[in-house]
Amino acid sequence: MALLEFHDVHKSFGAVRALRGVSFAVTAGEAHACIGENGAGKSTLLKILAGIVRPDRGEVRLNGEPLHFNRPREALARGIGMVFQERLAFPNLTVAANIFAGREIVGRGGRLDEAAMRARTRALLDDLHLPIAPDVRMEHVSAAHAQLVQVARALAFDCRVLVLDEPTTSLTDGEVDQLFRVLGKLRAAGVTLLFVSHRLPEVFRLCDQITVLRDGACVGTFARAGTTPDAMVRAMVGREPPERRARPAAAAGAAPALAIRRLSRRPWFQDVSIDVRPGEIVGLFGLVGSGRTELLETVFGLARAEAGTLAVGGTPASFRSAREAARAGLAFVPEDRQRLGLFFNLNLRHNLALPRAVKRGAIRLDEREEAGLAQAQIDRLSIRATSIAQMPDALSGGNQQKLVVGKWLATDPTVLLLDEPTKGVDVGAKFEIHNIIRGNAARGMACLIVSSDLPEVLAIADRIVVMREGRVRGELPGAGATEEAVMSLAAHSAS
Amino acid sequence: MKRFWHAREFSTVAILVAEVLFFTWYLWPEAGRDHSFVTKENFLLIFKYSSIYGIAAIGAAIVIISGGVDLSPGAVIALTTVVTGYCFVQLGWPLWASASAGIAVGALAGLVSAWLIVRVGLPAFIATLGVMGIWRGTAFIVTQARFFDLSAQLPANWHVVGVSIDWLGPIVMIGLAGVFQILTTQYQWGRGVFAVGGNETAALFSGIPVNRIKTSAYVLSGLLAAVSGVVLAIVQGQGKADLATGYELDIIASAVVGGASLAGGRGSVAGAVLGALIFGVLRNALVQIPGATFYDRLIVGVVVIVIVVMDQLLLRRQAKL
Repeated sequence: MALLEFHDVHKSFGAVRALRGVSFAVTAGEAHACIGENGAGKSTLLKILAGIVRPDRGEVRLNGEPLHFNRPREALARGIGMVFQERLAFPNLTVAANIFAGREIVGRGGRLDEAAMRARTRALLDDLHLPIAPDVRMEHVSAAHAQLVQVARALAFDCRVLVLDEPTTSLTDGEVDQLFRVLGKLRAAGVTLLFVSHRLPEVFRLCDQITVLRDGACVGTFARAGTTPDAMVRAMVGREPPERRARPAAAAGAAPALAIRRLSRRPWFQDVSIDVRPGEIVGLFGLVGSGRTELLETVFGLARAEAGTLAVGGTPASFRSAREAARAGLAFVPEDRQRLGLFFNLNLRHNLALPRAVKRGAIRLDEREEAGLAQAQIDRLSIRATSIAQMPDALSGGNQQKLVVGKWLATDPTVLLLDEPTKGVDVGAKFEIHNIIRGNAARGMACLIVSSDLPEVLAIADRIVVMREGRVRGELPGAGATEEAVMSLAAHSAS
Repeated sequence: MKRFWHAREFSTVAILVAEVLFFTWYLWPEAGRDHSFVTKENFLLIFKYSSIYGIAAIGAAIVIISGGVDLSPGAVIALTTVVTGYCFVQLGWPLWASASAGIAVGALAGLVSAWLIVRVGLPAFIATLGVMGIWRGTAFIVTQARFFDLSAQLPANWHVVGVSIDWLGPIVMIGLAGVFQILTTQYQWGRGVFAVGGNETAALFSGIPVNRIKTSAYVLSGLLAAVSGVVLAIVQGQGKADLATGYELDIIASAVVGGASLAGGRGSVAGAVLGALIFGVLRNALVQIPGATFYDRLIVGVVVIVIVVMDQLLLRRQAKL
């Protein structure tokens, strides 16, 4: 029988129809996935469930009874636990205080019972095999552990339904295994799971039923046994995924556009040498913490190397700032678009035109030229925006990422550095970003891509360089490389 | 974790002690003369004047911990002295009723700020900047360039249950600091204040009544500023519109020196009161150093920056451990 049921849920924000009649049911005891591209309406649905947003029409039923959510407390009180993404923690409070935030255990006279909360927290953390002390402040807890603390938070009170919103975004494979073990245990104990994600391998590993949302509407609910990841991608995107285009291999003999020689910046990386030739896509793979991001930052002049040299187009270079690097023809798309990639107080035109103006050292801005440039980038990268006067936060994650790529492509770089260019974007946008990178490589741009997404690296790179613990551990040709070969270089134990 | 909290307040106490020791040494009198700094009367004086900032700083700390800022306490203090003076002198109300009226007006002032911030959605800085002007202006309109002379109608050398009225401010400050220190650290409401200041979205998602908590912070800030105002009116014997001009910055500085972070989520009530005492000692001692009067504001400014920078460095070191 249906434990949790969404019935014809509608919600609009101004002119944007976030949800247009979503109906699906979650049966008691099952693990149910809700998937969809960014902007498909998943987060709105969750906010309605949590009581933060009220639906315009329709209802949510728990055990057949409609829920009249006014406040999040009510959802929690009725046995729905929510695990939000890790940025929803209180950095200034202890782990125990985070777990009980808003639902503290109080003793006589309304005084907080810290001892009871600490003891309960310790028991919960032990259950999850989390080596964290309840008294540690959250800002000192790693991102992965913070995510698991959120699970503990949901479990602190008996919950029959556990809702998880993209819980694995910041987790390593080992930590994902740990989370899934916990979720397996919970299922065995009769907890119903609603898993919101766009990571299909995880969805197929964990869930029995998969509901697909697209453009605020429900495409359908599928049993895992009767479907395939490819079919789910088609359902999410609403079209066939574009075929991988064959690309002429880069000229092997050409002089490197970017030559990194024995570059060191301890403790992050040392003695790294990498060549990227014009038209070549080099994938830089490694586990989190292997020093790849720091390497790109150093190449781009954001940090100084201790030793080693750089050459761009055959000319020795040493950048003291990102501006110097940009002037030499480099472009760097950082990993965290929210924090490092975009100015959310500026519109698309200004965002797109800024790096080019900086590169040229323009004093006066030419509005007309900026507008033309911005429109050209929006068209070229098919960024879905209504106008260049729009603000970036009105765009979906994938389009924001294209914006970051676009603003750097506008500088006509010869070398493009990309750090996790498709992290957190949906399947459709991922294909498009790959095609943008391929297209620019075909025109002779040298691309160096850091990615932790192994299938992505295998799909896009002409050559794969593997880093572990700050050193280059090996190099493989892109064609014919296998996951096992790359992983064994990346994860080889230090002993 | 508990140790860290204690460490933060401990360092504020350490600064205060170091400061007192320094001035004790620096102002050591020539042989045969009395020490002008280390006397019971002088310490009472320091406490008496610090309490005017200190009581309001309790409210400022609460607002800052909740992630906001309140620029209006100076104006609220002035308005309270005027309202209390008006009721007491003009209307002939008993003192307790006049003081209550003043405190009620302060709470109301806080409610107006809260309404502008929570309901209208103005940034706290702008809302309280505007409100500051409104209350200061109201005080001037009520007094019409006069002032209410309470001292004439208060008993000279007044004692309440055997305690000199001079002790009113310090006793109220320490009492309220104790109450609010406990409320902010040991009760659900206080945990909510820290949660809202740490991450407002997360607080919303956790079912914490964010708007109610923010409202309570500004109302308390207004109310405590009004208590400061009543104390000032009684101690000074005046209800006057230009009293407490510029106090808002000293009040905020007290909270910040006591460990409150304007980014929200950090700070303590006890720290804010200690911060007020640090400034009280500084002001008191500088007056006694010949020629130092002109350096007063400059030294206070430098001290704020030095203490907060030290705190930042300390935090950074903790984060690395």
